[in-house]
Amino acid sequence: MTRRISKYKRFTMMNPIIQFFKFIYLSIKVLIVVAGGHGGTRNV
Amino acid sequence: MSKIVVLGAGIAGHVAASHLRRKLSKEHEVVVVSPNGNYQWVPSNIWVGIGRMKPKDILFPLAPLYAKKHIDYKQAKAVSFHPEGDSKEIKPYILAEYVTGDEKGTREKVTYDYLINATGPKLNFEATEGLSPGKNKTHSVCTYTHAQEAWIALEGLIKQMKAGKKTKILIGTGHAKSTCQGAAFEYILNVEQELRKHKVRDMAKITWISNEYNLGDFGMDGMLMSYGSNIMKSNEMVEMIFEDRGIQWILEAGVSKVEDGVVHYETLDGEYKKKKYDFAMLIPSFSGHGFKAYDKEGGDITDKLFRGFMIVDADYTPKPYEEWSVQDWPETYQNPSYANIFAPGIAFAPPHSISKPRKSKNGTDITPAPPRTGMPSGITAKLVADNIIGMIKHSNNELHHKGSMGNMGAACIASAGFGTTTGSGVSITTYPIVPDYNKYPDTQGRKLGKTFGTIGLAGHWLKLALHYAFIYKAKMKPFWWLIPE
Repeated sequence: MTRRISKYKRFTMMNPIIQFFKFIYLSIKVLIVVAGGHGGTRNV
Repeated sequence: MSKIVVLGAGIAGHVAASHLRRKLSKEHEVVVVSPNGNYQWVPSNIWVGIGRMKPKDILFPLAPLYAKKHIDYKQAKAVSFHPEGDSKEIKPYILAEYVTGDEKGTREKVTYDYLINATGPKLNFEATEGLSPGKNKTHSVCTYTHAQEAWIALEGLIKQMKAGKKTKILIGTGHAKSTCQGAAFEYILNVEQELRKHKVRDMAKITWISNEYNLGDFGMDGMLMSYGSNIMKSNEMVEMIFEDRGIQWILEAGVSKVEDGVVHYETLDGEYKKKKYDFAMLIPSFSGHGFKAYDKEGGDITDKLFRGFMIVDADYTPKPYEEWSVQDWPETYQNPSYANIFAPGIAFAPPHSISKPRKSKNGTDITPAPPRTGMPSGITAKLVADNIIGMIKHSNNELHHKGSMGNMGAACIASAGFGTTTGSGVSITTYPIVPDYNKYPDTQGRKLGKTFGTIGLAGHWLKLALHYAFIYKAKMKPFWWLIPE
């Protein structure tokens, strides 16, 4: 059965204050994943 | 002194050229050969396609920037590759044809010591009968001109809806082997939000059509991801979003033909079906440019350089899906026959798809091609530039920088609607891009935590912040190089 977005979830998704902190968190998290390095796979 | 020629000035080509210029002294020559006069930040095309940005907001002319930064620029297209030179030219060269100005049509042998082929894909609209931007009510957002045309058509449709016309909108992939589902996913959500803003949402039936087996496959075999405190499959997440937005979907669809307002497609069950629409945005298949290559004697050596896209250090041995591994994927993007030729970004030939290959009952391949756009393009271009710099500085052929898509993370910040307080974005990161089922056997080949998804206003802000940051970076403004690819 398909999940639905609840009213509370929608509120948190669109609340600018909550989302401001989420923006900071997301920026750091994306930076960690993307700038966290890369390498080969054949000699590990 | 070395001369490095970069073919293409998209994300990969421009990243490579800018890093080479920054790190190499002026005695070394960096030459960019590209038929496009502008740099465009492709991820923002979808906002041009809904009228929220103008083309001028996402592009800038390359010639003044390159002149200022001492990068030689030729607005020309590559015609053929001559990696051994010829009877008259001892150095390897590219035959390029100028596409503008007084020199238009003139051909020049552009010699090189190192070549970076960052020509990206050919948008292969011809592979689907009747699919052409602006014709048969179909559109594209693959370039800013296509996106602008799409917006003009959509704006007209919105006016008709305001006048009371019920419409059908179809967005997705326009070929059985298309890639870039992410762009179509962004566009369908943005269109849906725009219709709501124009108060005509109830006048349109919006349908997603895709060659994916499951929603949220994105050409990467889908993913298991952290979603808040839950663990969720990408298909569940996308299904949740589509349900929330009232978007219907057609999956396992290989679009084969487009007529005026009718798309013809084949399903994995082998059925041939039709879908009517008033406006469609369909991503075409991507292909190589069909370049030819010749040896010193003029013999055809195209198969040493290309198999559609450029051959690099991948394992191209044909094998069944069960035997695929991350080790098949290239690490250095160097051509095995010519050590001074590299192909980062979309220009390299992938060893196979990432998604499980599937054939219809009629034998048609209906499988998303692997994505290499955006972030992987930038990362692979930078590592190729760094390897060439190492080769020049140390006068050897050792490659110290490696970046397999099986050991590389990527972020897909998908816009789900434009607006400072009403916008939304679906932020997904994936690590690694190509699933490593040996390393992460219990989580579908991906590392949870580094593979996560979230939806909300912050995603829109992040996408907008990335838009400005990457255009700043591309313009090579002070400290541009501090912004990661």
